[in-house]
Amino acid sequence: MPSKKKEVLLRIEDLRIEGFSNETWIEIVHGVNLTLHRGEVLGLIGESGAGKSTIGLAAMGFARDGCRISGGSVEFDGMELTTTPQSALRALRGSRIAYVAQSAAASFNPAHKIIDQHTEAPLHYRIKKRLEAQEDAMELYERLRLPNPGEIGFRYPHQVSGGQLQRAMTAMAMACRPDLIIFDEPTTALDVTTQIEVLAAIRDIVEQFDTAAIYITHDLAVVAQMADKIKVLLKGHEVEEAATESMLDSPKEDYTKSLWAVRSFRREQKSPPGDDAVPVISVQGIDAAYGDAKVLEDVSFAVHAGMTVAVVGESGSGKSTAARCITGLLPPLTGQILFNGTPLPPRYRDRTKEQLRQAQMIYQMADTALNPKVRISDIIGRPAEFYGGLKGAKLKNRVDELLDLIELEPSKFYHRYPPELSGGQKQRIGIARALAAEPAFIICDEVTSALDQLVAEGILKLLDRLQDELNLAYMFITHDLATVRAIADHVVVMQKGRVVEQGPKTEMFTPPHHPYTDLLLSSVPEMDPNWLTTLLEERGVDNIGEAAKV
Amino acid sequence: MSPVIIIVLKRLGLGLLTLFAISILIFFAVEMLPGDIAQAVLGQGATEENLAALREKLGLDQPAPVRYLQWLSGALVGDFGTSLVSGERVSEAISGRFTNTLFLAAYAAVIAVPVAIILGIIVALLRETLFDRVSNILALTAISSPEFFLGYILILVFAVNMGAFPAIARLSGDLSFLELLHRTFLPALTMVLVVVAHMMRMTRAAIINLLASPYIEMARLKGAPPWKVIVHHALPNAWAPIINVVALNLAYLVTGVVLVEVVFVYPGIGQLLVDAVSKRDFPIVQACCLIFAATFILLNLAADVGAILTNPRLRHPK
Amino acid sequence: MSYFVVGYYAMLIGASCLAAHFKQRSLFLLLFSLTLVSFVMGIIGGAPALWFVTVGAGLIALAAGTSYAFREFLVTIAPPETAKELRTAPLTAAFGLFVIFTCAIAMVFADLIAPYGEAEVISSAFAPPDENLLLGADQLGRDIFSRLIYGARNTVGLALAATALAFIMGALAGLYAATKGGMFDQAMGRIADIIMSVPSLIFALLMLSIFGTNLAILVIIVAIIYSPRVFRLTRAVAGNVVVMDYIEAAKLRGEGTWYLIRKEILPNSTAPLIAEFGLEFCFVFLLIAGLSFLGLGIQPPTADWGSMVRENATLISFGDITPLIPAGAIALLTVAVNFVVDWMLFRSSGLKE
Repeated sequence: MPSKKKEVLLRIEDLRIEGFSNETWIEIVHGVNLTLHRGEVLGLIGESGAGKSTIGLAAMGFARDGCRISGGSVEFDGMELTTTPQSALRALRGSRIAYVAQSAAASFNPAHKIIDQHTEAPLHYRIKKRLEAQEDAMELYERLRLPNPGEIGFRYPHQVSGGQLQRAMTAMAMACRPDLIIFDEPTTALDVTTQIEVLAAIRDIVEQFDTAAIYITHDLAVVAQMADKIKVLLKGHEVEEAATESMLDSPKEDYTKSLWAVRSFRREQKSPPGDDAVPVISVQGIDAAYGDAKVLEDVSFAVHAGMTVAVVGESGSGKSTAARCITGLLPPLTGQILFNGTPLPPRYRDRTKEQLRQAQMIYQMADTALNPKVRISDIIGRPAEFYGGLKGAKLKNRVDELLDLIELEPSKFYHRYPPELSGGQKQRIGIARALAAEPAFIICDEVTSALDQLVAEGILKLLDRLQDELNLAYMFITHDLATVRAIADHVVVMQKGRVVEQGPKTEMFTPPHHPYTDLLLSSVPEMDPNWLTTLLEERGVDNIGEAAKV
Repeated sequence: MSPVIIIVLKRLGLGLLTLFAISILIFFAVEMLPGDIAQAVLGQGATEENLAALREKLGLDQPAPVRYLQWLSGALVGDFGTSLVSGERVSEAISGRFTNTLFLAAYAAVIAVPVAIILGIIVALLRETLFDRVSNILALTAISSPEFFLGYILILVFAVNMGAFPAIARLSGDLSFLELLHRTFLPALTMVLVVVAHMMRMTRAAIINLLASPYIEMARLKGAPPWKVIVHHALPNAWAPIINVVALNLAYLVTGVVLVEVVFVYPGIGQLLVDAVSKRDFPIVQACCLIFAATFILLNLAADVGAILTNPRLRHPK
Repeated sequence: MSYFVVGYYAMLIGASCLAAHFKQRSLFLLLFSLTLVSFVMGIIGGAPALWFVTVGAGLIALAAGTSYAFREFLVTIAPPETAKELRTAPLTAAFGLFVIFTCAIAMVFADLIAPYGEAEVISSAFAPPDENLLLGADQLGRDIFSRLIYGARNTVGLALAATALAFIMGALAGLYAATKGGMFDQAMGRIADIIMSVPSLIFALLMLSIFGTNLAILVIIVAIIYSPRVFRLTRAVAGNVVVMDYIEAAKLRGEGTWYLIRKEILPNSTAPLIAEFGLEFCFVFLLIAGLSFLGLGIQPPTADWGSMVRENATLISFGDITPLIPAGAIALLTVAVNFVVDWMLFRSSGLKE
């Protein structure tokens, strides 16, 4: 993309924002500068807590409840937003600066039709008459390749799918043809195959109307497709800014380099076990249902000692349900689960203490997986006490040993409570709790998806080391193919409750694939700025939406 | 059939079932009396003949389930038997008084509901200002005050000191409507105070709960002014809890009226119930309880149906 | 026009101007709206109405001052952790704590504080207040002040007992239902629905008509009436905890129900449960006071705030405020508890974010 030399639309200088916590104001954005020209797209990238969204909202002169702009200037088209009165700021919002939120499903008002929400701003600013505004909305829906553009707007938000809603929200942002749109992680909540449609639609419409945009995301590969230039943020500080291509090719700062390098962790695939080896866990032809809704059909796979099986699929594919069947939370309708060759009772209540001990689980959200009111020493110590009968000094030694194992200093963490820890530390405590039972098999349910990339990599390396030391069998549930590439030995691809394809990792990542695996693999954004363009050409533009529905 | 109708019908069925369970509870609670009704009414000094005569009159020789069915089938057509004390038909004792109670409740409701909802919206709009805090304190005070406290204060100020309204709400047959409103103003005002405070707080809470939703932030970022954010974006989604609170308070108006009726000597069903309880006149107690419970259940039912009907997800299924 | 009226308006307008000058916007609005309201009240009610406003403002200022001092007192004597939280408490909450504290003192030391016995006839009926009878005498010539002090013990004690009983029954059932789920949960839910679909006062009247008025029965009846509310709340609070992954982890570990309740669920439900205890106490207290007022609760000659209102009610038509004193005591204690609960609920909702 050629960089555009046009007049400056937005200039942010030394922006400082404070947040209210623990009865005091604490600075969370420490002097950020930013210049955006007309028609230019800036990618704002950073991990959670970097202040991306806060800066994005500040570009509209808006601060969330509990936040305030404490210094610096935000100049939009010659107008200083930090000193403009609220009423004048409101007149800008929706008309000249628009916002696209992360979750369209939550950001559309459930009580009104989509098109009525779309026409609210144009009607409010008296730019258009109702019928005109509705016709315009339909035209935008068509441009964004929404199905039935003439009719879809007359539905309520809950009647439309997530990817379509996200496009409808982009259309809504376009309603008054603003000069600037803030995209706040618009595809983060979507599945990879749906993400493609939305990305393509957003990019097209921004180009067509020559709108300037700030695109906020934590995903480098995504921002590479969308932005002319990229700014990297870390904890409210600016790290560096450069044109997309040069940023990708030659990052200057260490932090940026480390972000780029994250995806390099890749473990060698272990040789598959012999045919006569008894798997630790063997899932044999299970069907399962929630009430009348069937969610699993004839699912079979095996997990061997010291090996990692990655179960991949989009939301609703049944991968987590398979884990619930193995743990006994959801008894399967047919089929059985074998542990070291002997069948396990389908319900966890009927299993023996020993059987329960052998299979442990690590959860996605460490926040909800650790009881906030229990000390770390008790969280880790309880399984050791419960299964191993350890008490007193022995128990304390065991807890110290486990904390050492997960690379947290025992003396510092022994007496603390989960809310005092960072996300990565909590996830490590979750791992230690699983290890405390001395299991043979661990289910890892999206263990890295709630974590920032660097932290996630640390967790993957830790899990890998533990597997080698303790000869553990892992079942890795994930939607992220990068994680699969990094850690899996064997890959199981699931779609709509069925296993579509499975095999050793090296086989799965080399063609030919099953069509769904192919779709899944090709939909994962890559760091190449031309990736989306190439992909769209390959698939044919009109086909993107269809491809996802195969 | 549309899913909404099915849900509503299910809810209606559940309501009927609850009412049925309540009728069993009310009838058989009296059966739990130590001894029996005749013993309880006539007391320790009753002779065997008197007891036997009363037992026969009340049909106590028949088994309880049979008497329950007789009582229930009578209740369905408005026949609750005769009073043990006065010998009057229970239905006659109740009917006029029930109308009075309903009148008082309706009087209070007509004032309270719109005032409370509008105040609730205003307070939500002015949240975290001095006005909000003061109204919160006043509302908490009104909720916490027993009805007789508020009632006597109103009597002291408006009836005794100012002489503007009568302290005792006696009703005679030929009052004009305006006179009626004037006479019953103080009891109605007492109930309005309690109910408005409660409804206002809940309306405010229902709206403020929604203000953290992403779609409210979206509305703000579309440039909607604060009143529009509240009225157009938050209120349509807050109807379900608001309707629930309104129904709960209407139910309170009908049932919590007992204390107010006693304070103002108002000839309503509540006072009848209190008298009957102290005289242990069971047919009247049972009838009053059943009527109160039925009103309560009916209003809750209406609230649930209202909440279902205002839910866009249910109204416009996929 | 008297000097008082002139001074009154001069004070208000002067204060409003000062507030406006120092850009205290909300204070100015308050003062100035008070001025405007005073005009209307002055026209309708004359000087007495303005006196009423002045006395009211004085009382509020006194209450605010007491609350402020009491909060500082608590902050000073409390351990650092608690002190930090107390410092952020609004004045209303401090006021509530102060009233509860005073009431607790009256309850515990009733025998020492009250000058006369609760049923002791010491004067003629309806004797006016003098230096011996602080608040005068009631319809039988008993000291109202002493009866008020003993009433704190009787009424509040009874309400506390009933609340505690309701709480134990409701909370245990709620925790168990949330943890176990299934049939027990369903059945308890239905029973709670049925009890709650009879208005509480009506239910109490029905039961009292059958079992007669007796303190033990009163406590049990009131506890039964209010335990479904506790059950529902506990069920809801615990229900939110039960879906957490750490509960699933504990279940999959093979932990028993009692362990889950005690170690995993209860520690995460205490804040809303304590607030609910306060709310529940208000309901129970008002119900018991109401029953006593109707003559169906605590029976004479035991001193009790509700029946004291009833016994002296006739005085109100002579413009005597005596019956308002016990009624006011009921309102004051309920308001106090509500203020504290309001603060606690605000805190726990604020912590969630």
